[in-house]
Amino acid sequence: MIQKKICMVGVYGTGKTSLVQQFVHAKFSERYHSTVGVKIDRKPVTVDGTDVNLLLWDLEGRDGVQDIQTSYLRGASGIIYVADGTRLETFEQILELRVVAKKAIGDVPSVCAVNKVDLTEEWKISDAQIEGLDAPTWHSLKTSAKTGAGVEEAFHWLAATMIGGAEA
Amino acid sequence: MTEPDLDQTQPLDAVPEPPVRIDAYGITDTGKVRQQNEDQFAVGRMTRSLELTHTSLGTVSSLDRLGKTAADIYIVADGVGGVAGGQLASGIAVEALTEYLAQTAGCFYHTDIALEHELLERLEQAAQHAHERVRAFSPKGQGPATTLTMVTLLWPRAYIVHIGDSRGYYLRGERLRQFTRDQTMGELLVDEGVVTEQQARDSGLDNVLASAVGADINPSIGLLDLQYDDTVLLCSDGLTKHVSDEEISAFLQEGQDAASTCRRLVDAALEGGGTDNITVVVARMGRPASPSSD
Repeated sequence: MIQKKICMVGVYGTGKTSLVQQFVHAKFSERYHSTVGVKIDRKPVTVDGTDVNLLLWDLEGRDGVQDIQTSYLRGASGIIYVADGTRLETFEQILELRVVAKKAIGDVPSVCAVNKVDLTEEWKISDAQIEGLDAPTWHSLKTSAKTGAGVEEAFHWLAATMIGGAEA
Repeated sequence: MTEPDLDQTQPLDAVPEPPVRIDAYGITDTGKVRQQNEDQFAVGRMTRSLELTHTSLGTVSSLDRLGKTAADIYIVADGVGGVAGGQLASGIAVEALTEYLAQTAGCFYHTDIALEHELLERLEQAAQHAHERVRAFSPKGQGPATTLTMVTLLWPRAYIVHIGDSRGYYLRGERLRQFTRDQTMGELLVDEGVVTEQQARDSGLDNVLASAVGADINPSIGLLDLQYDDTVLLCSDGLTKHVSDEEISAFLQEGQDAASTCRRLVDAALEGGGTDNITVVVARMGRPASPSSD
């Protein structure tokens, strides 16, 4: 089976671990735990008839972009950048993180997941800002690790793009 | 083709030092209340099996890698299921794990990115192998079981396999961080919002394992890049029942060698009551000595 490494990247508290938990275990917890180092999960998916084992590297969220440990990105076939839609600065940091990651491992297919869309009253990012990021190897969308909105789409789009198939 | 001249064989230098000077040690203590010790630990180093002592090859630098340390291994296991059962489970688990790692040592000889996941899979399989060995004593899963926390260090990367509630910490500077999460029913139910943290503590759910080798197993896999001067600590809950994270941090920051630090931690747990078996493994990541200092 094809194996593909995906890194979950973003500053602290954006919901990287929760997105993985929702995608892999269909679970959500309100309780916050900061990840130390990297937590690794697996999820087999089928994309256009091709079985792919996704290796999900959930990277510890740091305070700032400069703190990202690029050594963890080596060998990644795709990246999911996670921003917190209720904290504008985390969205802006995605752009900086993208530059850092691109320098480290090149331009790999990526998703920008603007997370916590269930928190509608606190939402700070416009649709235009999110859509403005789209590019051939870059897909942006709103997600909620709590409700599951956009989660499957985020991972499946990335899986499909990584193996060069049609968009999921 | 010219046959090598036996007179020209060259003695090889000693096995080169690894890029980090590790001081690692482990201690286990029965404690003040229990009659037997159900904890186990292992501290080990996997090396290549081929060490050339003489060769006709003019240059041997390309063969240096053959003598390098492949991996350092640290394991702590805390058996449960009655005195004899717990001791049996943790013993079998650590033995099976080390046996499996030794048999599959080949995958530790490189850190090639493409093969890193093979290594992670092997580590997970090693835990699964230990699980099956323990499970053989209780096919229905009602018998002895054990926690298992293992760090496999291929400097600077530490690969972590964690099952149960024996913890892993690392100290960097003045900051102590726990890199494992207790797999207990208490943690699980608090996560799911079923009980509060206080209720989990009061009900004793914090002491009920949600994942254990020999019972229901759900290994947590992770990794961490270490730095020089970091200290890694693995311990059974016999330590953390009596010694707070703040105290652990203070002991590790004293900067003593690994053996003395282990002793200090165990003594603190004994002074705190010693109600359970206490096991600690400490590994300090020192800078390699400069050639001039040898």
